[in-house]
Amino acid sequence: MTYTYIGKDRRRVEDPRLLVGRGGYIADLGVPGMLHAAILRSPLPHAWIRSIDATEALRLPGVVAVLTGEDCKARMNPCMSFGPATITQYPLAVDKVRYVGEAVAAVVAESRYLAEDGVDLLKADYEELPPVTDPMAAMEPGSALLHEEHGSNIGYERTFEFGDVTAAFAGADLIVEDTLRWGRSAGMPLETTGAVAQPGFNGVLEIYCNSLNFSYFVFLIAATLRIPSNKLTLRPVPAGGSFGSKLAAHKVPTLAGFLALQTGRPVSYVEDRIDHLENSDHHGCDRIYEARMGFRADGTIVGLDIDVVDDYGAYMQFGVGHHGNAFSQVVGPYRFRDVRYRLRAVVTDKCQQGAYRGFGSEVHNWVLERLVDEGAARLGLAPEEIRRRNFIQPDQFPYKIPGGNLYDSGDYPAVLDKALSMIDLDRWRAEQRRLREEEGRHIGIGLATTQERSVFSATEFWFLLEKPTFPLTSSPESATVTIDPTGQFQLLLHCQSMWGNSPETVGATLLAEEFGIPPESVNVRYADSAHALPGTGPGGSRYTAMVAGAIRGASRKLRQKLVHIAAHTLEVAPEDLELVDARVQVRAAPETGLTIAELAATAYFFALGLPEGMTSGLEESFTYDHPYTTLPAPDGSDLGVFYPIMGHACHIAVLEVDPDTGMVSFLDYVAVHDAGTIVNPKSLGGHVTGGATQGIGTTLYEELAYDADGRFRSSTFRDYLIPTAVEAPAFRIGHVQTPSPFTEYGIKGGGEGGRMVAPAAVSAALDDALREYGMRVRQLPVKPWEIVATVQAGRTAQGWV
Amino acid sequence: MTTLSAARYGTTRRTVTVRVNGRDVTRAVSTRITLADFLRDELDLVSVHLGCEHGECGCCTVLFDGHSVRSCLMLAVQADGHAVETVESLSVDPAKLHPIQECFAEEQGLQCGFCTPAMLLRTKEIIETGRELTDAEVRHEISGILCRCTGYQNIVNAVQSAGARLRGRAAGGRDP
Amino acid sequence: MKPPPFTYCDPESVDEAVGLKSEYGIDSLVLAGGQSLLPLLNMRLVRPEALIDINRIGDLQKIEPRSDMLEVGAGVRQYELENHPQVGRLIPLLPEATGCIGHLETRHRGTVGGSLAHADSAAELPCTAVTLDATVVARGPSGTRTIEAQDFFRGWTTTALEPEEVLVAVRYPVPPQAAGHGFVEVARRVGDLALAGAAAVVNLDEDGRFTSVSVGVLGISDTPVRAWAVESALIGEASTAENIARAAEEIVPSVTSGDDLHATRAYRRHLARLVVRRAITAAVARAHERSDGT
Repeated sequence: MTYTYIGKDRRRVEDPRLLVGRGGYIADLGVPGMLHAAILRSPLPHAWIRSIDATEALRLPGVVAVLTGEDCKARMNPCMSFGPATITQYPLAVDKVRYVGEAVAAVVAESRYLAEDGVDLLKADYEELPPVTDPMAAMEPGSALLHEEHGSNIGYERTFEFGDVTAAFAGADLIVEDTLRWGRSAGMPLETTGAVAQPGFNGVLEIYCNSLNFSYFVFLIAATLRIPSNKLTLRPVPAGGSFGSKLAAHKVPTLAGFLALQTGRPVSYVEDRIDHLENSDHHGCDRIYEARMGFRADGTIVGLDIDVVDDYGAYMQFGVGHHGNAFSQVVGPYRFRDVRYRLRAVVTDKCQQGAYRGFGSEVHNWVLERLVDEGAARLGLAPEEIRRRNFIQPDQFPYKIPGGNLYDSGDYPAVLDKALSMIDLDRWRAEQRRLREEEGRHIGIGLATTQERSVFSATEFWFLLEKPTFPLTSSPESATVTIDPTGQFQLLLHCQSMWGNSPETVGATLLAEEFGIPPESVNVRYADSAHALPGTGPGGSRYTAMVAGAIRGASRKLRQKLVHIAAHTLEVAPEDLELVDARVQVRAAPETGLTIAELAATAYFFALGLPEGMTSGLEESFTYDHPYTTLPAPDGSDLGVFYPIMGHACHIAVLEVDPDTGMVSFLDYVAVHDAGTIVNPKSLGGHVTGGATQGIGTTLYEELAYDADGRFRSSTFRDYLIPTAVEAPAFRIGHVQTPSPFTEYGIKGGGEGGRMVAPAAVSAALDDALREYGMRVRQLPVKPWEIVATVQAGRTAQGWV
Repeated sequence: MTTLSAARYGTTRRTVTVRVNGRDVTRAVSTRITLADFLRDELDLVSVHLGCEHGECGCCTVLFDGHSVRSCLMLAVQADGHAVETVESLSVDPAKLHPIQECFAEEQGLQCGFCTPAMLLRTKEIIETGRELTDAEVRHEISGILCRCTGYQNIVNAVQSAGARLRGRAAGGRDP
Repeated sequence: MKPPPFTYCDPESVDEAVGLKSEYGIDSLVLAGGQSLLPLLNMRLVRPEALIDINRIGDLQKIEPRSDMLEVGAGVRQYELENHPQVGRLIPLLPEATGCIGHLETRHRGTVGGSLAHADSAAELPCTAVTLDATVVARGPSGTRTIEAQDFFRGWTTTALEPEEVLVAVRYPVPPQAAGHGFVEVARRVGDLALAGAAAVVNLDEDGRFTSVSVGVLGISDTPVRAWAVESALIGEASTAENIARAAEEIVPSVTSGDDLHATRAYRRHLARLVVRRAITAAVARAHERSDGT
């Protein structure tokens, strides 16, 4: 298929406004009479709240109100949650605090400065409880409980088995076994989460917020605020980055809404950086794995056995959806059929887990690839060779994996080959040897692959539960295309989808393709929740594929209307007409035709010139449902098809380790992705490099660290180390395009793969660089002193020291 | 240190004159307001983004007497008698971008746009040194500003492309 | 994250500043470049009654190079020190170390005196002051006094300045022209406060033996550390890699920092040895270059 606009490196239509500093972010929004909120954060990890004295704060001129958990308990319902009903949460802690940084009270004042002055004057009295920080200890009987009503710190426990792992391992020549730990990091966008809530007409509460997906969950926030859902309007505000951290971020808009309802005034609450680090909705995964993988002597993988403890922090807003997500690609790109997966989800005195680019699949992929690398090393196979021997082959698609999900299409050998040729592996391996021998330098080459599941189906949020309370199956996306009377195009998107991705560029490009108009001429808008058609918003790398379906559906209807108006006007049969370059023309006589502008004028102003039964106007909407999803089996033996649009990637990292300092620098980095049909290669490449850099952060720098006493060690950007341009590698990007048979245009998602594979590639490269010392990355982030200790121990063992 | 008491609250104000994007503006400001908040709240220069407010992310970078500084780490009163440039000094017209902005658009050196004004101003400052830089040097030069979206590769490309385009010519001028 | 209320004072002379310090004493803080103080203010980790902004005091912003001594005003910006041609010629260690402070954006604003008075033990300027036997000049109500850098840094962000004193300048003795210098830091990211770092200035005789060695180490204790034991282990010795490595071991007992998020104590001990060795090695190489006339 050849396209005019799709697949070209075109400029993004979002960029001009961003380049002049008018991104329209939440903190830029002013509403007349707006008040500002600041929160008091808990200094303790676990404590009963005895009292909060606001007397002095309320005396401070400019302070309007102080709200606490007592007010929440009395006047609102618990926050939205897909987790156990006995684990409840409010935006201000009720009765007890469960982590350092949890919001305890909010001060509303005439300015943020005054609100913080008010916070300083609050006097909170606590009764300390033993901190619960180690997830293993938290599961022991006798551990202090976070949620007394739940009766245990185990939020979820179950073992899944697909196939027969014991039998498969019995036939294995090698079983590798490892304890692997994935540390807590987070999306950490440079803009925090914020909301401005204002009481509007007719008792409607309007909340402007940079949270994504709101048309999906507005009714849940309304329920929390105890107002009818039709009296709550969420208004979309572009986000300055998300990476998961603004996915259904509910605490901030809920709190702003509550404060506006209580004060009767517009209230802005924008997290400051400490709020976001300590109290966001979305810390990332925090897991301990006991993992085993079986191999035959030729490298064939025979099975996978996982026992994972996931430290969820204090609340479980998404249940264990992160593990449902991992089941979408539980075997990676490999052919083995036997999988056992034991999951224990534990609550501890830490900020709650949410979403971070990969949503749990990135952790699973790292574990999978760590085991494959260990198997390769033990069997004497090159990393590319063991993968090649296990890949699902291009002629095997669609391919049903253990657990039930389906891979739509792919060509994994082609991706690997492209990556290998781009990096010139033989040259680097020779250079690696030369530098080691001649200059004593330690170069490592790491190769890893990932599946990149995209376009989630909502079943993943509940199919792991024994008794799901809300077994939803819909996750649609909508678009409205309007041609105005002069022939200009408006595209209305039905969710808050702009966080730095390119929903407007995608929409404009596809409309340009459908109608032959310049993409830059399309105006793109976002519907507020009162006007929005069903929309799920970005998440799980779904938006481009889903909105493309919606836009194409609306475009088909609109094209048909244009053709029928033209056929009626030109007095020819509709089937003899075609739409080319914004003009409907006669196939056999292209000089005869009408421009879209001419047809639009007819559509709007000359009803008597329209075909019989046609109404005026040129606007069509379309709601696109998930292209391919099936229900799970009731007994859990098959989870159904829920994430079938399957991308793939291969990264090869070349890095140098200073064995004396443990510091790492990159020499080369190749990333090849297959995201099906690409709308804009440069945009996709930007997501790959951005995601990979986040993956490097997770691997080497970033950590949301709690010590054993529950104190939080990462409260500032001096301690939470986001890579700068110096730590990030110079990337080289390659694309392979295997279209999806299930989506419009064959598009697959591509937003998360960079972060899903980089940790595995970098871990492998570290092992490779220091192989002579027995280096084996088992815990992220890798600390420089761990590298130095490994080198020293290795040198001692070799008699160097 | 004395603790803050409600009774003691009362912020002094000071009249300052600051040359902002080439124009003198005079305002009475609270002496504890940061320069960043002054630019955003008093002058509506909302391109000055607050990412951390403790001097680590660089999103609030402005040019102060021609030098890049973090505006969250200055008080507005300290700008009295000085010149401040924000990204609005390049171009405020999305249809008529400054060449540096053009190069960022062409190379897609941005995604969410939050670090972008800071990166653009820093790029201007880099180019004005007149030095031709390697990619690695560019990375070092922009390392004071975090970007969470791009992984920096497209930013490095944009800085290099803008440098090539403007070399030999002052970065302050508009494209003719 | 906004500053608490304070009384803002911006004196135009040192005397006026000293008067304000006398008036407010420990309830006041001096605002120089603000690159360390403003984060503390924004996070409300400090709540001064008065903030005394010394940026308008022109007398504090001078760099005065003399043949045997370089005097740098407390208000001189770090980037000015870094780029001053005479500073680079007289004491090349200073621009090299100063260029490692934070990022350009913070060096544009941060001052020499501010860094010394803030006295972060991982900071570059306190370490170089100790290494170079600098003298800190302070003015108080009873006049001016000088404090040896060795005596100036008293503890974690604590100095010998009295509450009513203002740091006005720092004087660096100019090392002999043939001296070689080295500066090495290890940090997790570019621009981060170093986990450990070392500055070294050495002089060699014609046989390549150390005639003088001066080494300062940052990031390993509550204060910048002068590595006396390392120095005495090298005086008179040949500047060989083995001797340097052996002497560098002597720094280990000075490492008192405990475990933190970014380094363990054992790692810091290891790094301390390493940066001392690397800094001296670099200094020796430069001393050789200078004596070779290259």
